[in-house]
Amino acid sequence: MADLPLLDARDVHKTYRFGALGVEVLRGVNLAVRSGEWLAILGSSGSGKSTLMHLLGGLDRPDAGQGEIHFRGEPISLQPGSALDRYRNRDIGFVFQFYHLLPELNVLENTLLPALVFGARSEGRTAVRQDAEALLGAFGLGHRLTHRPSQLSGGERQRVAIARALINRPAVLLADEPTGNLDAATGAGILDLLAERHKQGLTIVMVTHDHEVAARATRQIRLLNGTTETPDAT
Amino acid sequence: MYASLVSNRYLTSRLIPVIAVAAVALCVALVITVVSVMSGFLDMLKASGRSIVGDVIVSSGIGGMPYAEELLAELRALPEVAGATPLIDTIGLLRMPYPAGPQKETAHVQVWAVDPASLAGVTDFADDLYWRAPKDAAAADAMAPDDPRRALDPTILEDGKRLLQSSTNTPGIALGMHVSVGNARQRDGSYLPRYGWFMPGLEVTLTVVPVSGKGKIAEPREQIFPVVNEVQTGLFEVDRNRVYIPLQEGQRLLRLDEAPLYDLTADPDASGNYPVIGRTPARVTKLLLRAKPGCSADALRDRVQATYDAFADRIEADRSRTASMPRFVQVLTWEQQLRDLIIPVEKEREMMRVLFSLIYLVCAGLILSIFWAIVVEKTRDIGILRSVGASRTGVMWIFLRYGLIIGTLGSALGVLLAWAIVTNVNPIHEAIGSDAPLAIRVTAWCLASACAVGLCVTALRRKFLPTLLWTLGTIVLSAAALGLTLHHGTLIWDPSIYYFTLVPDKVDWWAAGTTAVGGVLFSVIGSAIPAAKAADIDPVEALRYG
Repeated sequence: MADLPLLDARDVHKTYRFGALGVEVLRGVNLAVRSGEWLAILGSSGSGKSTLMHLLGGLDRPDAGQGEIHFRGEPISLQPGSALDRYRNRDIGFVFQFYHLLPELNVLENTLLPALVFGARSEGRTAVRQDAEALLGAFGLGHRLTHRPSQLSGGERQRVAIARALINRPAVLLADEPTGNLDAATGAGILDLLAERHKQGLTIVMVTHDHEVAARATRQIRLLNGTTETPDAT
Repeated sequence: MYASLVSNRYLTSRLIPVIAVAAVALCVALVITVVSVMSGFLDMLKASGRSIVGDVIVSSGIGGMPYAEELLAELRALPEVAGATPLIDTIGLLRMPYPAGPQKETAHVQVWAVDPASLAGVTDFADDLYWRAPKDAAAADAMAPDDPRRALDPTILEDGKRLLQSSTNTPGIALGMHVSVGNARQRDGSYLPRYGWFMPGLEVTLTVVPVSGKGKIAEPREQIFPVVNEVQTGLFEVDRNRVYIPLQEGQRLLRLDEAPLYDLTADPDASGNYPVIGRTPARVTKLLLRAKPGCSADALRDRVQATYDAFADRIEADRSRTASMPRFVQVLTWEQQLRDLIIPVEKEREMMRVLFSLIYLVCAGLILSIFWAIVVEKTRDIGILRSVGASRTGVMWIFLRYGLIIGTLGSALGVLLAWAIVTNVNPIHEAIGSDAPLAIRVTAWCLASACAVGLCVTALRRKFLPTLLWTLGTIVLSAAALGLTLHHGTLIWDPSIYYFTLVPDKVDWWAAGTTAVGGVLFSVIGSAIPAAKAADIDPVEALRYG
C-alpha cells in the first residue's frame, strides 16, 4: 500500500476531433506520481502537457477504453461527472499560466471560491475564512484582501491563484506553466512559494517548457510525441 | 453558496442587468397599467349600471303595463325586495334655451318619466343630483370663487328630488349633466356654466311622440319644463342623453294615463259622444327593483318573474278588469340589461390582457439575448468554476438565479411603477391635456443644449461612441423640448368614448400579482436557455479559449 502511487496514468490516449479530422495528442502516456514528490513534466508547445494536466485533474477524460487514470488506486476516468466535480474540488488544486481569477470577485472571495463550492464544513465558515486570510497573509497578500484581480500585479495574481488552489487542502497541486506569464524574478518567487509548500508535504505536478523551472522539481519527465520519457541527466 | 456570490457580483458590477431589470419592469408595468385601467373601467361600468337601474328591470312593450301600482304593491311585499319604482322610458326631442335669439339648439334625449320619491329608493337618483348648496361655509370656501354652487339656495336640491319647481309649483325636468353643452367640466371635477348658460331655472321644451298599443304614431306632443336640477351618474352615455320628468307628466304626454273607455258599438248621444263603460288604467313601461342585502339579482329576477306571471293570470281571470297584463315582458337583471355595455368591455379587457401578455415573450427574448451575451463573455469564468469543482447544475443555477433575481427585481419595480402611474393617472392625464409648465420647457431646452455642448466636445476629440451618444441625446431632448413647446394638450381619455369622465385609478392587485409572477417566470424561462448552454460548456475549451 505504501508503494501505491498517488496519481497513476496508465497507457492514456487522447484524441481531439475536429469534424472528420482527429488529432491524437497523447499516445499511451504512463505516469506515476508518488505522494510528496514534485514532478515536472517538460515538453515543447503542443506536446500535450496541458492536455495531460487536464486529464490528471479530472477536467477531461481519456479516449474511451484507451487508458485509465487512478487516484489513490481508484480509477477516476470512469466516475460520473458529480464524482469528478468532487475530485477536482477536494483532492486537486489547479494553478494556471494565466491565473484564471474571476474579475468580479476580490482576492479573498477568489481564494474562498473552492471552499464555497465544497459547501458546509465541520470547522465552520469563519474558520475557513480565517484559513484563507492566513494563507494570503503568508503569501504577502494580507493587505490586498479586498482588491480586485485587475488591481494586482501578475505575481500577486498567481499567488492568489495558488492560495485558491490550496484552500481546500488538496492532495495534489497541478500547476500548468505557473511562471510562464511572469518575469524571471517574480517567477522565481512563485517557485520558492511552491518549494516551501512541497517541503510541507504537498505533492506537486508542474508542466513547463522551461528547463530551469523544471530543475526546481524533484523529478522530471519529458513529454514527446504524445508519450513520456525520462530526460537525460545532462 | 458560490452561486449566490457569483450571480450577486455579476448583478452589481455591470450595467447590463440594470437594463434587463428596467426592461422587465417596463413590461410588467405596462401590462398592470392597462389591465388595471380596463378592470377599473369595467367595475365602474357595473357599479354605475346598478346604481342607475337597480337590480332587476321589468320591461314591457310600448303599450305599457297597466295596474302598475297593484303589481308594485305585491312586489314591494316580497321579502327579497328593498324598493320598487315605476317609470316610462321613451325618446324625445329637447329644445334648449340657447343660443340667444329665435333659433335654438335641439337635442335628442332618452326620457325617463319617473316617480322621483320611489326612484331614489331603487337607484342613486337623489345622490346623483349635481346642483346643491354647500353644506357649510367651509365647503363653500373649498369651491372655486366662480363656482355657481356657492350661491345656490337649498331648495334646488329639494326641487330636483321632487322634479317640481317649488316657486311656481310647476312640474320640472332634471337633465343629465352633459345634455346641455353649457356645462364645462373643470379639472377638479366641478362644472362651470359656459357662456353663462346655467341651466337650473331656465326652460326647455320637451317633445315626445305617443305610440298606440298597435304601434301607430299619434300627433307629437310637447311641454315646457323648467330645469330644476342636473344629474351626474358618472356614466357619460347616460349623462349625455337622459332627462327625468314626473311620471304623471310622462303618462299624460304619451297618452298612457288613465282614460275613459267608450263603447263604440253603442249609439252616440246627442253630443256625439259614445257611452262610457269604464276607465282604462294608467300604464308604465318599466319597473325597477332593488334587492335587499344578501339577495342576488338573479334570485330576485326569478322571484319577480314568478310574481308577475301569477299577477297577470289573476288579472286575466278577473272579468271586471278593463285591461290585461302584457304577457311578453322582459325580466332582466341589471347585468343582463346592460350587457351591450358590459360584454364588449369585458371582451376588450380580455383581449388587452392577451395582447399585452405577448410582451412577456419580448421580455423573455430580451433576457435570453442579454444572458446569451453574458454567457459567451463569461465562458472563461465558467471554465474556472468547473476547475475548482463547480458542477454543471451549479453553473446552470448561477444563471437561473441571475434570471430569477432580475425577474423578481424587475417585477417588483414594475408593480411599483404601475401603482405610481395608475394612482396618478388622472393628474397625468390632466398634464398631458394641458400646456407643459414653463419650468419643464426651459429644463428640456437646457438639457438639450447641454447635450449639444457635449456633442461638440466629443466631436472635437474625434471619439465615435461618445459622439454618437451625445448626438442621440441632443436629438431626443431637442425633439422633446420642441414637442413640449408646441404641445397644447391632447385629450386621450375622451369621456364620450369611454362613458366616464374620470380614468379609473385603482390598481387591479390580482392582475398585478399574476403579471408579476408572469414576469418572474418568463425571466427565468428566458435565462434557462443561456444557463443550459453555460452548463454544457466544456471546461477545457473554456479555459483554453475563453
